Amino acid sequence: MRILVLSKSVPDLVEELALDEDNGELLHDDMTYVPSEWDDHALEEALLLKEEVGAEVTVLAVDTGDVDNMLFTALAKGADHAVKLTGDFDLATSNRKRAQAIANYLRDNTFDLVLSGVQAIDDIDGQIPAIVAGLLEWPHASVVTEVSIQGEQIHFRQEYGGGLQAEFSAQAPLVLGIQAARKPPRYASIAKVRQMMKSSTVDEIDASADTVPELEIRRFFKPVAAGHAEMIEGDPEEVADRIITILKERKLVRG
Amino acid sequence: MALRYVLMAATVVLFVVAGAIFVGRFWNIYQVMRKSRATIRTDQIGKRLISTIEQVFAHKRMLKVRYSGVLHLFIFSGFVVLLIDVVGSIGQVFSPGFSIGPVLGMIVDIWVGLVLIGVAMAVYQRAVIKPERYHGSDETDGYIILSIITCIVVGIVVHESFYPYAAGPIFGVKAVALSPMEFLAYGLSRIWVSLGWTGATAASIGYAVGYTMDILMIWVFLAYLPYSKHLHVFLAIPNIFVRKMGPHGELVTAPVPEEGIAIRSFRDLSWKDVLDLYTCTECGRCQAVCPAHAAGQPLSPKMVILELREALKKELSGEPPIPLAGGVVSQEELWACTTCGACMEACPVFIEHVPKIVGMRAALLEDGEIDKTAQKVLVGWDRQGNSFGQPLKKRPGWTKGLEISIKDARREPVDWLWFVGDFASYDPRIQDLTRLVARLLQQANVDFGILYDGESNSGNDALRIGEFGLFEALAQKNLEKLQEAEYNMIFTTDPHSLNALKNEYGKYGFHRPVKHYTEAFVDLIDQRKFDLKPLGIRATYHDPCYLGRWNRIFDAPRELMKRVGVDLVEMPRHGENSFCCGAGGGRIWMEEVGIKERPADQRIREALTLEGVTHFVMACPKDVAMFTAAVASTGNEGRLKVVDMAELLAEAAGLGVPDTLVAAR
Repeated sequence: MRILVLSKSVPDLVEELALDEDNGELLHDDMTYVPSEWDDHALEEALLLKEEVGAEVTVLAVDTGDVDNMLFTALAKGADHAVKLTGDFDLATSNRKRAQAIANYLRDNTFDLVLSGVQAIDDIDGQIPAIVAGLLEWPHASVVTEVSIQGEQIHFRQEYGGGLQAEFSAQAPLVLGIQAARKPPRYASIAKVRQMMKSSTVDEIDASADTVPELEIRRFFKPVAAGHAEMIEGDPEEVADRIITILKERKLVRG
Repeated sequence: MALRYVLMAATVVLFVVAGAIFVGRFWNIYQVMRKSRATIRTDQIGKRLISTIEQVFAHKRMLKVRYSGVLHLFIFSGFVVLLIDVVGSIGQVFSPGFSIGPVLGMIVDIWVGLVLIGVAMAVYQRAVIKPERYHGSDETDGYIILSIITCIVVGIVVHESFYPYAAGPIFGVKAVALSPMEFLAYGLSRIWVSLGWTGATAASIGYAVGYTMDILMIWVFLAYLPYSKHLHVFLAIPNIFVRKMGPHGELVTAPVPEEGIAIRSFRDLSWKDVLDLYTCTECGRCQAVCPAHAAGQPLSPKMVILELREALKKELSGEPPIPLAGGVVSQEELWACTTCGACMEACPVFIEHVPKIVGMRAALLEDGEIDKTAQKVLVGWDRQGNSFGQPLKKRPGWTKGLEISIKDARREPVDWLWFVGDFASYDPRIQDLTRLVARLLQQANVDFGILYDGESNSGNDALRIGEFGLFEALAQKNLEKLQEAEYNMIFTTDPHSLNALKNEYGKYGFHRPVKHYTEAFVDLIDQRKFDLKPLGIRATYHDPCYLGRWNRIFDAPRELMKRVGVDLVEMPRHGENSFCCGAGGGRIWMEEVGIKERPADQRIREALTLEGVTHFVMACPKDVAMFTAAVASTGNEGRLKVVDMAELLAEAAGLGVPDTLVAAR
């Protein structure tokens, strides 16, 4: 079983987002980028499968700048190979274009299972796994948890509203958007990442992509503050009285 | 006469067999040590000798637990006297007529008495007092050894008491009467006389029995020792001699192994670590002082050592090796450690528990295994340089609200460079205190500055979680900024940062003076920089592990309290025996699984036993976080006020202390 894990970097939300408010553009160079959390879960699920059935795990990133550290971290966690798709890409490159490059790579290289984070904080649209599957005409599922490999069959679960769960099975090749791994993503120690930088290489593959139909982002806005929270101060009695008054004012309690 | 040859033959044969077993066993241990990591332990010979004499002959650490120390001293001293007896007894058998004389004979008898008293005390301790620290130790082994020792010393007296009557029949020499100076043997011989056991046959049997109990049992003892915890009879002295000499707080000493600090197999231990395993006497003093053990967690430093020793024995007997981290010693045990160092401070034979635990943690980390909250903290240190998951830019955020702005030590020279640390910078509960310290420095006209967002966490805790690579990365970041800055001294309120700057950065060539705020403030007071009014309160003081035990700064905080007019009442556990708050070694970020009573809560209870004490004084930002929580969760806010040193000084110096702080009023 050969598994490809897709990874991308996203702005670190601990730091403030850098936005040019005049023209509504994100200032990518002024922000710190970190691996997308959902992709970390996809990698963890792949590594768990590797431990269970001996799959071979390759991690892939589109070269949007500084992705090497992310790839070496994945190698330090236990991925077998790392691939970087180089070409005309940067941090603003659309998911559509990234997906095209990944699909092209998958046409030339044989994989049974593609795992990706279901979405990323900078798109929240979950497009990449879906578009990749669409371009390749492979089966695809999103918001997946608990992947397992049983012989030729790949089993996985999806959660629905109301706590309902469904279990699926599919034949390879298959693309899955991972919501959460079975275990929290493992830690990669700094020393091990450094050791990987010395002992392993990232395969660079030229993936100059075709022209693809894309949406154009017109501008970004910062959220507009609406309303204020009222801090209720005083001793417990006063606070309780105030809460009751508010609830009565809003007609949330009778009496 | 034939009996003499039987005794001679038995002495020689048993000696050869026991000696061979003994040497073979030591050879095995030596082979393991030879294959383990290098460490330099033969520097500072003079200091090592003095310390060895103090610890061995004066029983310095042993006597910290008075009863055990005294009984051990009795038995230990008997071993020295045993040498006289071995010479005397073997001399008697091999060279008829040989005698050590009545004076040495009397000395032997006195010590036989002392050893017997010691043994009786030991039996009483094991059977009646039953200290908790023995839980998990091999008690049977303890009793076997006590029995052997009793047998030997009784044997000494028995064969001596029969000697005057057996000398003729066995050795063919004229009997020499026992001197009353050899009071035990003399007294016993009177009994034999009254029983009529002085004939040739009875005396010969009596002598042979006594000789067997003495000399032949010593050889058995020799063969048994290497398989028992009593190997310390031979290894304790060398282990004390090759102890860690310092700097005390440096966990990882240069040269750092190229493959990292992770301990996965016995080859990853240093030879001193291997020696430690065999030297352990299972006394459990480490267990008795361990905060994790006291909290009900599965860790006992003693059991870590015993588990490792047991596994090594099995491996040497040909069993397949088990991974040390997470296998021989469980993950739960390893992560429970606060690295407070109380175990190492208590160990009478200078076993180093903490570096082994941290090394095994490093192995777990390399396999990606770590508490998930702590993992977030590691990622936070790597990305933003702090444990709060806050932006780097907000590190100097606490300076807002100060009337006078603080110099940027990256841009202009300062006298004191203040290394603030994560908690003092980011924790909203502690920022008020940090500002108070700034105001005190401004009041005293100190020329000081900070590195603003150029400062990163010192890496002290990252290293103790086992993340050496991250520690190194953080250290490099700080060292780069420190190199650019111009200053005369580093000042910090945080003992963890102090420890890293003072002890761990040395291996990268950093050797600038670092002072804790308690030391620096005492200096300022003595230079009359403050106008102080005595506070007149009764307080106790909690020694932070990384200030006291690891950096031996015990006096400055006490001096500071004295100078601001605080009547200090010590808790039972203070100074080097201080009890950890439970936050160190990364514990502050880890889940509290299996904790019955938090160490910090226990500490508050300890302080409450002191009469008339109204204040609990701290000198570490993490302590402020831990103890304000502990005093609240135990419902003792009304009885005990937890205050920081800076609050005491500010109050005495007439600076307004913000209401948000629990001030000394």
